[in-house]
Amino acid sequence: MTSVTVRIAGANGDGIESSGALLMKVAAKSGLHVFGYRGYQSIIRGGHVWYQVRIGDAALNTHGDTADVLIALNQDAIANQKSRLSNNAIVIYDPTKVKPDGLQNNKLIAIPLLDTAIKISGDPIMRNVIAIGAVLKLLGIDISVFDKVIEGMFSRKGGSVVADNIKAASMGYSFGGLSTAYSLKSDGISRYVLDGNTALALGSYSGDCKFYAAYPMTPASGILHWFAAHENKGVLYKQTEDEIAAVNMTIGAASAGVRAMCGTSGGGFSLMVEGLGLAGMLEVPIVIVESQRTGPSTGLPTKTEQADLLFVMHASQGEFPRIVVAPRSVEESFYIAKEAFNLAERYQCPVLILMDLLLSEHAESVNNFNLDFAGIDRGKISETPAEGRFKRYLLTDDGISPRSIPGTAGREFIAGSDEHDEYGDLLSDAFAGLDSSLEMRRKMHSKRMRKIETMLKSEPLFVPQIEHDDAKHFLVTFGSSTGAVREAAEILKQKGLDFGLISFNYLMPLDSERTKALLSGKSLIDVECNYTAQLVHVIKATTGIDIERRILRYDGEAITSSEIAEKALFMLNSHKA
Amino acid sequence: MQDAKSVPRQYTYTSGVKPIWCPACGDFGVNAAILKAMNELKIERHNMVMVSGIGCSSAMPHPFSTYGIHGLHGRILPIATGVKLANDKLTVIATGGDGDGYGIGVGHLVHASRRNIDLTYIVMDNETYGLTTGQTSPTAMLGRKTKSTPFGNIENPVNPMALALSTGATYVARGFSGDPVHLSELIKNGIQHKGFSIIDVFSPCVTFNTVNTYDWFRQRVYKLESEGHDYTDIGKAMSKALEDVVSDYAKLPIGLFYKTDRQTYDSMDIALKNGPLVKQPAHTEADMLSLLEENR
Ligand SMILES: Cc1ncc(C[n+]2csc(CCOP(=O)(O)OP(=O)(O)O)c2C)c(N)n1
Ligand code: SF4
Ligand SMILES: [Mg+2]
Repeated sequence: MTSVTVRIAGANGDGIESSGALLMKVAAKSGLHVFGYRGYQSIIRGGHVWYQVRIGDAALNTHGDTADVLIALNQDAIANQKSRLSNNAIVIYDPTKVKPDGLQNNKLIAIPLLDTAIKISGDPIMRNVIAIGAVLKLLGIDISVFDKVIEGMFSRKGGSVVADNIKAASMGYSFGGLSTAYSLKSDGISRYVLDGNTALALGSYSGDCKFYAAYPMTPASGILHWFAAHENKGVLYKQTEDEIAAVNMTIGAASAGVRAMCGTSGGGFSLMVEGLGLAGMLEVPIVIVESQRTGPSTGLPTKTEQADLLFVMHASQGEFPRIVVAPRSVEESFYIAKEAFNLAERYQCPVLILMDLLLSEHAESVNNFNLDFAGIDRGKISETPAEGRFKRYLLTDDGISPRSIPGTAGREFIAGSDEHDEYGDLLSDAFAGLDSSLEMRRKMHSKRMRKIETMLKSEPLFVPQIEHDDAKHFLVTFGSSTGAVREAAEILKQKGLDFGLISFNYLMPLDSERTKALLSGKSLIDVECNYTAQLVHVIKATTGIDIERRILRYDGEAITSSEIAEKALFMLNSHKA
Repeated sequence: MQDAKSVPRQYTYTSGVKPIWCPACGDFGVNAAILKAMNELKIERHNMVMVSGIGCSSAMPHPFSTYGIHGLHGRILPIATGVKLANDKLTVIATGGDGDGYGIGVGHLVHASRRNIDLTYIVMDNETYGLTTGQTSPTAMLGRKTKSTPFGNIENPVNPMALALSTGATYVARGFSGDPVHLSELIKNGIQHKGFSIIDVFSPCVTFNTVNTYDWFRQRVYKLESEGHDYTDIGKAMSKALEDVVSDYAKLPIGLFYKTDRQTYDSMDIALKNGPLVKQPAHTEADMLSLLEENR
């Protein structure tokens, strides 16, 4: 596999991100694989930002490490990115704006980006397009694909936008002295490019989610932007006054029979916790997305972390069944979001999808999505009138009681957040403590909790997945870190070390027997983005197995494959000594 | 009281569950007023959802045979809004206490009001926290001594009518549970009104509020309609809303303060143009393919 990592760096407001997105679209349409990541630092105009696009001729697990090609749009870009370049990296810069200080060992390509841009359209943003044209030449990508992408994006805008972009790219492409520097083999497949939030939104759409409520919060806001933009496509998006309202509206909508979801980051999820418990008690099927960022409190709002795992697993007073799942890639975010609604409705419980900034906001190419529209399971729903009063919370063997949807005659019931009997009538206050109430409480609580056994019995999902199961050592991880960890295992294999991967996506409930069988007796190294090794706690609590070797990162950046490989190597060596 | 045998099932609004309120609690009067309104409106009970929070007053849905959600303290309006947005053909009635609606949940009141979402919100205002045994509440008068203000309340009370008026509610009324027939009329009209209706109800807590008793209210309440109040005039409505403070609680107007027609949130949301969300067809593969294409 050949891959090239391109980094576009400049000031916020320079159109860095849209340039990265454009480059990815063109490469993905050209039969290549892409993986992009925004390394923003500032949300205020002027701060240093960069966007990294890795382009390869096989599937990619990460956005790469050091840059092979740097587009430096200002002097800060040189200063900040100098130490993050590969050997022999190519640097494209504007000699009228930027001095390539300290880059003697690099291949320098000086293009008068700004002057050329102004000549083309008067718009300085065109300098990015010129630079992209130059990158396409370096990568050997057919420039005509760029033209098609631009036509698709801007043909509705009219005027000279399309022509100006095409002209700018072709000026960069044919800039004197440039030649193709990498050989990437296209497979001719035109791929989708999307980030985790978009994939999640699309997956929920294909799972027939019709309601999304949220209060803006990075890095979950991409989901609300998607829903807001598609309100004319059979979904309702409600921006609420706070996250408390978001979760409670979601519960209201789900109670009324619509597949409903809300989303936020850790701070907003903190406000949703009481509502989460309500969904557990009322047995209302809802989906909550929690996209983590660096905490605690406001933390680093635009940086990533995986430190809310235990919080999401245990949030709320009392006990009730819930499903917690952390997608491991953009593509998997789609399928998990879709399946989340089936699980929520089948087991009438909340499903929590644990994303993080890395997964929510990085874009990947995906070959195709399997759109199985037959696969919608709404669980037990009663539609005919009941004899007498409806027992919404019927005590059943599998713990799941048929529910009914308002509008259905003869199935009316009052759902109570107080402990209740089979009808939904309250046990509390007047009757609590009486023998009949004590017995009903025991029965009703066990009924709800029994759903966990039913899930474990009926679903094959609740075990980690193993890759290279005959390997000597295994890296263990969950969710968004999986890509980097998989790549690290490959690096280690290339170094002659026999490494496999054990990755968790479904984390709650966990099948303890099977998880234990999978992990026991193996040489394990845990990798995750938090300080306390939360996955290790989960594993220990379910299987009794402790993982003492841990590679942890908590500075807000995504963990990289090279650092994992390096640390794993060190751990193995020090173990021998 | 209705005879269950002669009334068709869908118009029988009682479940047989007995309310657990203290004898003579004001909430009984509210219960009777709601039932009377339902019996007169004859909306099929399976197309009604009663949503409540937590508090004595929030036990309101249980004696009814409609659908209902007895949710969280303060979160009545978001839950009710979610129900309404999912199925705007349902009649959604929200019921709760003053602590629930004007204390912990007051933020939601502001937004439900400005959205003008088509709900009817009945607040049983007893100027106390009944269920938690008599602490001060957001509508407790200055100086009132309660379990939690043994030296007297030093916080200015919320004025629910003024708050609702200033945030955009389109049906603003107040009743008294000592006059369930009058209250019932306000509730009935509130349910029929398209938009956010709030009906604040003086509903005495006979156990924990020894100041604002039935007698105390009877001596002070008077009906706005008896004075020919113009409920289409928001300025006049606002001055009536402030009359309790201005008169130092000598005069407490009840009746309809304000009513206007403004487009409701549910009638304007583009997602509901093709009918209730819950009735809209499932998303199809064709929809999905075109949405995916946006990412190529
Ligand atoms: C989040 C939360 N905080 C506190 C409580 C305890 N609590 C239950 S009811 C209530 C106040 C009830 O007052 P009000 O809403 O006026 O109802 P009333 O009992 O007077 O009808 C409180 C504080 C709770 N259930 N939930
Ligand atoms: S405590 Fe007060 S509000 Fe609660 S039921 Fe008794 S009288 Fe009514
Ligand atoms: Mg009260």
